[in-house]
Amino acid sequence: MSRAGKFVVLCSVVALVVVAAGQGSTNASHRGGTLKLYAKAAGGTLDPQVNYTLEYWQLFQATYDGLLAFKKAGGNDAFTVVPDLAQNLPTPTNGGKTWVFKLRSGIKFSNGAPLTVNDVVASLRRIFKVKSPTSGTFYAGIVGAKACLAKPATCTLKGGVIGNAKANTVTINLIAPDPEFKYRLAVPHATIVPAGSPTKDAGTKPLPGTGAYYFASYDPNKQLVMKRNPNFKEWSHAAQPDGYPDQIVESYGLTVEAQVTAVENGQADWTYENVPADRLGEIGTKYASQVHVEPLTAFWYLPMNVNLPPFNNLKARQAVNYAIDRNAAVKIFGGPNLATPSCQVLPPGFPGHQDYCPYTKSPGTKWSAPDVAKAKQLVKESGTAGQKVTVYSSDDEVNKAMAVYTQSVLNEIGYKASVKPISVNIFFTYVQNTKNKVQINVQQWYQDYPAASDFLYILFGCESFHPGSDSSINFSGFCNKPINAQMHKALKLGVTNEAAANVLWAKIDRQVTDQAPMATLFSPKHLDFVSKRVGNFTFSKQFYWLVDQSWVQ
Amino acid sequence: MLRFAARRLVSMAFVLFSISVLTFLIFFATPGVDPAARIAGRNADQQTLRLVRKDFGLDKPLPVQYGLMMKKLFITRDLTSFVNRGAKVIPQVTQAAPVTLSLVFGAAVIWVVMSIAMGLLAAVFRGSPIDAAVMIVGLIGISMPVFWLGEVVNLLSQSRFHHTIFFSWVPPLGYISFTQSPWGWFKALLLPWLTLSVLFIGIYARVLRSALVEAQEEDYVRTARAKGITERRVMLRHALRTSLIAFVSLFGLDFGALVGGGALLTEVVFGLHGIGKLTFDSLQNLDLPVILATVIYAAFFVVLANAVVDLVYALLDPRVRRA
Amino acid sequence: MWGRGRGSAPTDHVGVSAAATDGARVSEREQVPVGASPWALARRRLRRNTIAMVMLCVLAVIVVACLAAPIYAHHVAHTNPFRSNLDGTTVVNGKSVPVMPLSTTGLGLGSVPIGPTWDPAHFLLGADDQGRDVAARLLYGGRNSLLIGTAAALITCFFATIVGILAGFFGGLLDGVLSRLLDVVWAFPVYLLAISLSTVLLQRSFSIGPLKLQSGSLLLPILIIGVVYIPYVARPIRGEVLSLRRREFVEAAEGLGASTWRVLWSDILRNVVTTAIVFFPLMLAIDMLTEAALSFLSIGVQPPDASWGTIILDGQGLLYTRPTVAIAPGIAIAVTVLALNVLGDGVRDALDPRAKLRVFD
Repeated sequence: MSRAGKFVVLCSVVALVVVAAGQGSTNASHRGGTLKLYAKAAGGTLDPQVNYTLEYWQLFQATYDGLLAFKKAGGNDAFTVVPDLAQNLPTPTNGGKTWVFKLRSGIKFSNGAPLTVNDVVASLRRIFKVKSPTSGTFYAGIVGAKACLAKPATCTLKGGVIGNAKANTVTINLIAPDPEFKYRLAVPHATIVPAGSPTKDAGTKPLPGTGAYYFASYDPNKQLVMKRNPNFKEWSHAAQPDGYPDQIVESYGLTVEAQVTAVENGQADWTYENVPADRLGEIGTKYASQVHVEPLTAFWYLPMNVNLPPFNNLKARQAVNYAIDRNAAVKIFGGPNLATPSCQVLPPGFPGHQDYCPYTKSPGTKWSAPDVAKAKQLVKESGTAGQKVTVYSSDDEVNKAMAVYTQSVLNEIGYKASVKPISVNIFFTYVQNTKNKVQINVQQWYQDYPAASDFLYILFGCESFHPGSDSSINFSGFCNKPINAQMHKALKLGVTNEAAANVLWAKIDRQVTDQAPMATLFSPKHLDFVSKRVGNFTFSKQFYWLVDQSWVQ
Repeated sequence: MLRFAARRLVSMAFVLFSISVLTFLIFFATPGVDPAARIAGRNADQQTLRLVRKDFGLDKPLPVQYGLMMKKLFITRDLTSFVNRGAKVIPQVTQAAPVTLSLVFGAAVIWVVMSIAMGLLAAVFRGSPIDAAVMIVGLIGISMPVFWLGEVVNLLSQSRFHHTIFFSWVPPLGYISFTQSPWGWFKALLLPWLTLSVLFIGIYARVLRSALVEAQEEDYVRTARAKGITERRVMLRHALRTSLIAFVSLFGLDFGALVGGGALLTEVVFGLHGIGKLTFDSLQNLDLPVILATVIYAAFFVVLANAVVDLVYALLDPRVRRA
Repeated sequence: MWGRGRGSAPTDHVGVSAAATDGARVSEREQVPVGASPWALARRRLRRNTIAMVMLCVLAVIVVACLAAPIYAHHVAHTNPFRSNLDGTTVVNGKSVPVMPLSTTGLGLGSVPIGPTWDPAHFLLGADDQGRDVAARLLYGGRNSLLIGTAAALITCFFATIVGILAGFFGGLLDGVLSRLLDVVWAFPVYLLAISLSTVLLQRSFSIGPLKLQSGSLLLPILIIGVVYIPYVARPIRGEVLSLRRREFVEAAEGLGASTWRVLWSDILRNVVTTAIVFFPLMLAIDMLTEAALSFLSIGVQPPDASWGTIILDGQGLLYTRPTVAIAPGIAIAVTVLALNVLGDGVRDALDPRAKLRVFD
């Protein structure tokens, strides 16, 4: 961790202490004002049960609640799951298969309707009805989910979700015990929305929520406006604290360079985008007090489609791994203080992580230097030399630069590479669909919750590969039966013995890395650049900057 | 004359129709843009996809699909975006139109005033170094790529000299609506206006200048001069008035194109959410309904401007009607 | 018009917009004088036009410099401008320094590519965000920009002449069809065409007769730009042919029993070729601006190849820290287009001394 990182963590700890001491009544003078956020493009649908982007998950924290929530706190505290709309975090009974939640009373949606058991049951069904991207992975363990996945329209989750209006409780039955289930109920896809919400992706029409703010308007070409929820009364500071600004506006459309300049000038308060490497020097010196760097559990990587030439050839994939200079990629991202070279899937510090790097000058645990000679030889052996490869990336500065660098490497080891940057708005779904025949692209994955399966199983498991669908998060189309079987074993083992499971995950990590369905570039740190007036910056390791917990006056 | 107008109208309709059909066909020839998957949402199963295809008529033959889309665009007016699900297309266009109008209107005022001044100056001092200098300055203006000029303006106004007296008044990039703050509207648009107008001043000054020079040779101007009217009055009263015909017709064409979204690059560079930016975004997103709406919108203004200018010419010059 | 650069659309070539629109109407109404043996006369007139000759020299220098790009890259700068060079080093004041030095001040974040050294052997204009030599890329980029502009202008003038003559000479149904076609092309947005075609070509190549188009092929921007400007030149040519047809000498030739083709060849074509030539440098100017705009929207020349438009796009990201990367190609475009515009005026004056639009008398 860099010096800056330490400094920030210290600061946020101090801030937390202050907030905790005052509990809600603190800093009334800081209440008010408009927080101005910038992003290059909108993040797509605003439906919390459908959207799967960091851009909006960050904002959903202040607008929506689930039965449970990740604690709105700085640092590692954010990994703690706390009761949100539920009165307490229940201990599952029936051998870990039955969860009974008692709802808090007196909570109202932003449209004024009171929260009822009915809303909770309808929302859990709605996960399947709107075909939430994680419905087949996160929530497939609920009793009745199988029928819902097959026929979403008539989903009832019979026997799986039972509401009792009199007792104000909701009971959830699982097919098998699941240690990760509490996390799954705390991510935005398990948001509770009013029972009458449309049973299809709400798109650009905001749904009412229970959070401290509500989405007042959304125009993906222009801006997203969040205002204070008039019906909100703080019920748990840990789960859904009241916010400081009266209004939060995220505007779209400016280039990242213009956004950074606007934050420097105090015209905007924050940019969602990765600050390009050439601007970092300037903000790291002249605006150092406005920069917040935090280590992250995430990785940047190049998924290679194992079903399309040339990368249906293991040697071709390994060649790319040997040839990529991770230091160059780190430099594009902002230098060694912002990223650490890596060869494997699980990021450092993550459950199950064990250093492993076969693709370097002297193979072992750490990456040291590229081995281009070996890469060229592998390409030659694979017989794929001279083939055409298109590198896809989203069209922001950093991703584009990464794609151009990749192209240069591919050309050097014997391919004919070209680059295709695509608007962020459609990139994520475009590259997932096998119909678009994407051979290699620039990707990054940020954890949903702290478990090895969230990287290995979600990104490289057979169950997340759906040919022809826009929702096939296994970008590489990697489905290795023996490895997949081991993943299922590790998932099961996790219920009883987490430590043993993590040892198994470390082995799976090595096996996947050896099969090279991707070339990992590095594990990034997260950098937030805020305007001078932003105070009380709090960084949750789960959902990043807690936007509404900062003040602007 | 009426027959000419009618013919013009028919050809206008034909052009608009052809453009909408072409746009539609090009889009459907583009692979990887199958809208059904995107409308259906993520991870939709084959059955849902079939349902969506049926609902949106995507399983019908292309001519029927075209008809359906046109119906949704013009009759029921409920055409929605393929990318930003649920966002209606027509409000997007009507919200973007005032931004573009503001940009184009202001720029037009500047370029008309400036080019008349420069054209007059050059014509009066015809053949002198002033003439050459004015014309060269105009040419330099039209030789620069507009997006580049815009970026350089941003560099100076938002970064290098932002904290100096010259540019400290410049608001952040983006649009401020007139109703919200007329002064803010003016400040936000001044630099985009200037940038856009630089590209037109040169050519308009040239057109005006050559028309003036030609008019000065005409009999009636000579007569006026012979009558002893001062050179300045001759220029302003007689020559300028007749020279403005070419000027005004050119203006009609440019204005039409710009209102239709022709200022795309200026809008993109300055972060103005006008028609041009909307078109640009929809193209980037392969969002057919928005592409169709903006393309037809743009073509309408181009074709309308053409027709109006032609009609004016026909009124003034009967020979054109035969051509 | 929209899309082809009226407005701040790519081209804003304006110079020509007036020539084309105004010219179209002018020539429909006016008789264009036909010189007896115009070429020698024209050359002499052009040579006497000092400013045009100066601009011709400027243009020649630019073209030669761009053609010499490989010589500069290999023998002067010793660099490969198409390869990412993030870990490269170079020599400044006799010391070896990294091309992309990591920041060591403050929080120690980021890296800014080396700036202009004004030393032709070592990153004369600095490096771009991939550590590549901007000066060498600028020269290579100029080759592509000039090539695309020239080829597109040739296509435009060639097909415009054919279409203009066919429509104007034969009239009737053929004229109706061709004129409506021109109207459609005139109002069709060039960006849409460019973006769709480049997306189509990403996945499969496609052939038009012997031409094979592939993703990243320079033929793509050439064809798109060449085709969309045809109406600008075809309309005035059609008008000119219309008026020529009614002239005595053509009617006389037809009366004497000359065949249609003979009339077309000796009387019509020879006259309208002048117009096409007058348009050529001006179209070249517009085409270069359009190419820049298409590349700026990342639908023109594909990386790692460069054109002045793509270098501006690359430089956009470095605008605030290394503005040279964006400003240098912009100046290159502006100077080239200015030279072409002035030269174009000179050519027009020389070939058609009664033309209405002139910079200098």
